[in-house]
Amino acid sequence: MSSEQAARGVINLSESDSSLVNEIKELGGEELMECIQCAKCAAACPMVLAGFPFFNKRIIQAIFLGLRDALLDDSSIWACQSCNRCTEVCPREVNPFEIIQAMRRVAIREFALPTLSIEGLKSLYDTGHAVYLAGAGNTRVKVGLPEKPPSTVANPDALKELQAVIRKTALADLGIIPMDEPGV
Amino acid sequence: MPRIGVYICHCGENIAGAVNVEEVRKYAENLPGVVVARNYLFMCSDPGQELIKQDIRNGLIDRVVVAACTPRTHEPIFRKTVEDGGLNKYLLEMANIRDQDSWPHWHDKEGATEKAKKLVASAVAKAAFLEPLEDRFVEVTRASLVVGGGVAGMFAALDLANMGYKVYLVEKSPSLGGNMAKLDKTFPTNDCSACILTPIMVQVGTHPNIELLTYSEVESVEGSIGNFKVKVRKKQTYIDWDKCTGCGDCVNACPAKVPNEFNEGMDNRKAIYIEFPQAVPKRAVVDIEHCLSCAKRTIGTQPRIHSKTGEPILAPCEKACKTGACDRSREYNPEGEIVELNVGTIIVATGYKVMDKAPFKEYSPQSPNVITAMQLERILSATGPTEGHFHRPSDGEKPETIAFISCVGSRDKRYHTYCSKVCCMYMLKEARLIKEKYPETNIYIFFIDVRTGGKDFEEYYNYCRNLGIKMLRGRVGAVDELPGDRLRVRAYDVDLGAPVELEADLVVLATAIEPAPDLDELGRKLGITCGSEGFLKEMHTKLYPVETPVKGIYIAGCAQGPKDIPESVSQARAASSAAAVPLTLGKVIVEPLISEVNQRKCTGCGTCVQLCPYSAISLVEDKGRSRSKIDEAMCAGCGVCAAACPSGVITLHGFTNAQIHAQIKALAC
Ligand SMILES: Cc1cc2nc3c(=O)[nH]c(=O)nc-3n(C[C@H](O)[C@H](O)[C@H](O)COP(=O)(O)OP(=O)(O)OC[C@H]3O[C@@H](n4cnc5c(N)ncnc54)[C@H](O)[C@@H]3O)c2cc1C
Ligand code: SF4
Ligand code: SF4
Ligand code: SF4
Ligand code: SF4
Repeated sequence: MSSEQAARGVINLSESDSSLVNEIKELGGEELMECIQCAKCAAACPMVLAGFPFFNKRIIQAIFLGLRDALLDDSSIWACQSCNRCTEVCPREVNPFEIIQAMRRVAIREFALPTLSIEGLKSLYDTGHAVYLAGAGNTRVKVGLPEKPPSTVANPDALKELQAVIRKTALADLGIIPMDEPGV
Repeated sequence: MPRIGVYICHCGENIAGAVNVEEVRKYAENLPGVVVARNYLFMCSDPGQELIKQDIRNGLIDRVVVAACTPRTHEPIFRKTVEDGGLNKYLLEMANIRDQDSWPHWHDKEGATEKAKKLVASAVAKAAFLEPLEDRFVEVTRASLVVGGGVAGMFAALDLANMGYKVYLVEKSPSLGGNMAKLDKTFPTNDCSACILTPIMVQVGTHPNIELLTYSEVESVEGSIGNFKVKVRKKQTYIDWDKCTGCGDCVNACPAKVPNEFNEGMDNRKAIYIEFPQAVPKRAVVDIEHCLSCAKRTIGTQPRIHSKTGEPILAPCEKACKTGACDRSREYNPEGEIVELNVGTIIVATGYKVMDKAPFKEYSPQSPNVITAMQLERILSATGPTEGHFHRPSDGEKPETIAFISCVGSRDKRYHTYCSKVCCMYMLKEARLIKEKYPETNIYIFFIDVRTGGKDFEEYYNYCRNLGIKMLRGRVGAVDELPGDRLRVRAYDVDLGAPVELEADLVVLATAIEPAPDLDELGRKLGITCGSEGFLKEMHTKLYPVETPVKGIYIAGCAQGPKDIPESVSQARAASSAAAVPLTLGKVIVEPLISEVNQRKCTGCGTCVQLCPYSAISLVEDKGRSRSKIDEAMCAGCGVCAAACPSGVITLHGFTNAQIHAQIKALAC
């Protein structure tokens, strides 16, 4: 986009990236092309209420038009709450939520992700939870729960298995987070 | 003293919603001559009609007034009721308290009720003077005329011809085919247009019951259902069609170049030409306006003799013609020839014309790479100017990026307010044909909204989306020319809520479908009218969609309004069966509502003779005196003569002076 156009807020379709559609389809958004832009998903989406510039329907239209940079320059795709309401209401079984996940996969492959997400990924690898409050043990005990949740946190073998799985995903190739193999 | 029964219909809520029916009924009861007044929810229903019949059978009444909806659709129904009850069916009078009262005065219930009373009173006053009349029958000429040889006209002609009736098919171009002959492939099944149309053209051209009059136009129409007399002008072709074999040798020899209408002006034809390779009939015509009269061979003159060889000096076309069909020494009447046809019914199927791109200055119409969708059809067609190679006009390069713009001249108050109905689908079709052949092409379609209602159409639309044709909601505001024959398209994507720009190699305008040129003039000749959009008006949108207000004249295809091929053909076949009904009956009822002269009192002044628009009146000698005589078969019952006769001796039955005066008097009090 030329700076003059950008200043006017004009989207230049001639500079759009027509490979984006196929990439999304390959990364989990198989039903992308079924979308007819009816906007039913947008009516159900909390991202719209929160005022994000891109949300399910608009993300899909931007993908149609190959507006890769516009989507990557904006943080909207990371604001999806995974509530899946859109998938429930879509009349064309597009699964808009999956499209957004696919767009996140595209973004990660280009290292276009917010620092908050890196922390989440790191926590996932280290503890098995994207969000884990390490200092919550005392509180848990006070309300009568075991200090550690009965998950990967309390079960080091399970954590190891999870880490082995994660090391086999695209995440390992990208090297976004350190993935030390324990004992190596 | 007549005994009148008044029957007031609620028409569900249609009338009762604005008119206090009970109040009108009470009022009617006390009108002079009225012996019974009833109301009912739906007077035209079986129980409603039974009320009338019972009162007649019981000897209660001998005149009937129905206050209901329009006589246009319902008079025949109530006449039958009256007849079935045992009265002469012309002893019925209707008051239209729906179209003329409840509908226009819906929000003034009191006023509407008062007006209903007046309308009923005036109908009752007339009813008192009604007289029994007898229907007349006229023999029907068992032949039909079809005007327009597009897909609609051809199917109408074939159906009638296959039923065994003689059909005259008048087409103004040299060949049959119409607009469909120009199309490449056709939605929704994408069959090749020529492959499905050409066999039909051949069937029409060779059918023993069809007489083809191409390069011809309707000159005048007289008469009425059963017996129309039609004059048709066969335009001058300057070629002897009995000899011409359509070989095209003359065409190849001719040096004169003229923009080719069939290819939408994108290449040239010759001054002598055959409309297109699959033309039916395949015959040459000379476009005399553009003919150069080579070798000073003005039509109708003898050739000069070469001083050395002694041979006559001929024009290239004549020289090339081996059959002698092209002979410029012959005297041709530039006015052509008038033929007279007698037919019982007429079908008008004169189709449409696509709008030109010129008026749309905002879309850079001066650029050769801004084309209409019909031009694109010709570019895609194997018989088109590029022989089916997908080249853009400016430099023959294959376009990589194409923008389609919808609703150009449609849904636009500056041009046509209606939706042209077929463009959404044909844009998808053209985009799909290109995308299937050249998947790497970037195609954008800019819509206001996509209108693809129709059997199998939504599937078609989804298929196109899946092909990766990009749809943007938002009308294009501007197309600008850029260096390198590129075009910049500017629009606002409503879905993104952002302005967008696109550099395209080709811009395709879905220009509006318009009525055929001079359709209103043809309508005037036939006595049928065009609606505000310029297309022919049907008698009733829902119930009589192929009939016109003139009995015996029917309409079909795009002459009636924009539509696709499936709809045009359906309508054509509906029109042909409607037009066959009178032909099959062999005679038609003519209402006795015509004028009659009291010859004993006629002074023979001849005033009426001049005025009759149907030439139904003549002066005849009777006992040494001149008297006017009205031809029953020709009188249309317009009443002009009755109003004009200075001696007041012409009676228009059904609208006699006594009846009309009574009606007016009732309205005035
Ligand atoms: C770009 C484009 C693409 C289209 N693609 C498709 C498609 O893919 N599928 C589809 O279903 N539909 C398509 N359509 C619509 C289709 O063309 C029409 O539905 C169809 O041609 C209508 O047929 P018709 O016989 O009513 O009219 P026409 O084809 O217009 O035929 C009318 C005939 O009457 C003649 N005529 C006119 N005036 C007179 C006169 N005064 N006297 C004698 N003859 C006269 C004309 O010369 C013509 O031959 C398309 C339309 C356009 C513009
Ligand atoms: S994803 Fe589904 S609900 Fe959302 S706009 Fe597309 S078709 Fe409509
Ligand atoms: S899953 Fe994401 S995109 Fe779908 S409605 Fe919820 S927040 Fe919106
Ligand atoms: S005289 Fe014949 S060859 Fe010459 S321009 Fe006319 S039609 Fe063509
Ligand atoms: S058919 Fe489609 S493009 Fe054509 S006028 Fe109607 S809405 Fe516009």
